[in-house]
Amino acid sequence: MDSKKAVHTYHRNLTIVLGLILLVFILIPTVVKSPYILNIFVLVFYMSTLSMAWNLLGGMTGQNSLGHAAYMGLGAYACCLLVVKTGANPWIAAVFGMVVVGLVAGIVFYPCFILRGPYFTLVSIAFGESIRQVIINSEFFGRASGVGLPFGSDSWLDFRFTSKVPYYYVGLLMMIGVYLVMKKIDRSKMGFALKTIREDEDAAAAIGINPTRYKIMAVVISAMVAGLVGFFYASYIRYIDPELMVQAKSTESVLPAVVGGAAYVEGPIVGGLIMIPLSEYLRANFSSILPGINMLMYAVVLLAVIRFRPTGILGWYMNSRTKNFIDQKVLKKPSLEVLEEAELMEYQKREV
Amino acid sequence: MAESPIIEVKNITKRFKGLTAVKDVSFTVREGGITGMIGPNGAGKSTTFNMICGYYPPTEGRIFYKGQDITDKKAYEYTNMKIARTFQIMKPLKNLSVLDNVVASSYFGHAGAKNVREARERAMEVLQFTGLYEKRHVLSKDMGTPDQKRLEMARALATKPEMLFLDENMAGLNPAETEEAIRLIRRINESGVTILLIEHIMQAVVSLCEEVIVLHHGEKIADGTPQQVMNDPYVMEVYLGTKKEDTHA
Repeated sequence: MDSKKAVHTYHRNLTIVLGLILLVFILIPTVVKSPYILNIFVLVFYMSTLSMAWNLLGGMTGQNSLGHAAYMGLGAYACCLLVVKTGANPWIAAVFGMVVVGLVAGIVFYPCFILRGPYFTLVSIAFGESIRQVIINSEFFGRASGVGLPFGSDSWLDFRFTSKVPYYYVGLLMMIGVYLVMKKIDRSKMGFALKTIREDEDAAAAIGINPTRYKIMAVVISAMVAGLVGFFYASYIRYIDPELMVQAKSTESVLPAVVGGAAYVEGPIVGGLIMIPLSEYLRANFSSILPGINMLMYAVVLLAVIRFRPTGILGWYMNSRTKNFIDQKVLKKPSLEVLEEAELMEYQKREV
Repeated sequence: MAESPIIEVKNITKRFKGLTAVKDVSFTVREGGITGMIGPNGAGKSTTFNMICGYYPPTEGRIFYKGQDITDKKAYEYTNMKIARTFQIMKPLKNLSVLDNVVASSYFGHAGAKNVREARERAMEVLQFTGLYEKRHVLSKDMGTPDQKRLEMARALATKPEMLFLDENMAGLNPAETEEAIRLIRRINESGVTILLIEHIMQAVVSLCEEVIVLHHGEKIADGTPQQVMNDPYVMEVYLGTKKEDTHA
């Protein structure tokens, strides 16, 4: 009975802490009025979401993609073209964009997964680059001048606002939503399959996992999320061009996950919250002193993280004394045995 | 043979480019028993194993499981046929806890768990059976060799196999640990699982196996009970050298 109480307290404390963090994010736009700062937050939200999409493949499945900007760009193009050419509602276009990107990714990568090792990474780079070339060279996609979304009065139906605040909330919602989906996958049968594949493909096959099938599932889901980010980006900036898909953008989508801790679902969010404001801060304050110095400083920070915390910030935190302290003093986390017992009791209750 | 064999291997040959690793090997595995496969290093034991387990197809020959031709089945289809295997070089899911390692297996195979609860309950059962229960929250990469070998078996068992292939499950263990592993393998067998094992440790083979297959240079040179095999003059020559060297020493 005592243990039950302890678990209950722990869950309550956890809810309070998470609720407080969420509340802070909800209240930020009411306090911060500067569009520049809000823009940075929006940037954090959609880059973290893109990085979560990458993390499903790179972190959970161990397939390093360097083409996520292409999925994002493809999603953005599919949405924009549908809106511009047929006048469809952007929300419907978002679904359309996700389906298109998912299908393209599935079809392109199906043959690659029969091979093992770094081939996937190579194909993902080639994929991104060839999509970009196709778009630059085709009249239908607007060549290098890109596609603009129609302007007009603020409207939820058209997802179009002059203020940044609605984008802030939609971005936050998108990030949390994608996070919950990823968390769900992480704990599901599929999550176990992906993690087994990451650790060892032969071991995965030995317990009856079809590696190709699960890798395709992962790549399709990941690409669809990236497509969703593309839709958000297009609606926010209201103009897209093929520059969206350059290799550097793909690398940018990897960084939050790697810095935050690629083994954790929360990694991209933590990494995004740190790296993107840092990059913006350096650009705003140093690039005028000596052009390019901001990039150099960013690179130094990145190298330091990789050198001293190769498992990312969360990888360090999970085994740190700080976590121990927070678990014991703030959250009052009971021991694993107690938690396990409570879980088993929960199962029994559900059975009755 | 009165009862039909669970595994029947017919004239399998494996050639890697010019090298013939396994040449025209045939044998059967009796249902419900423990069969051992022995032979010096490089005799082709693991190659034979990998062919039976679907990791690469034999160049020639067929493999039958309960009368069904399984030669062309993919490795991941095996647990659905109630066959499981372990690896000589352990392949634990390093960054997952021991419990999660086994939970992952519980989800798959012919009787894959339908939900988290079922998966966890089965994992707990298997962990208790294999004696890893106390270590269930340890990361598998932090465990020593004996426990990792045990974990290999636990993961295989969580798929509820009827036929289990053990690839050098006792290599690198000390005598006390070997003794424990032998007890565990016997218990697994008593629960109704047919076992085919590769082993170097003679003590294990003699005390466990009812039948032994001896490979040498990719060819089967003898089979029979452990006693028969060990008294076979050719096997003695392969293992201990020829008489001439004996007298010389």
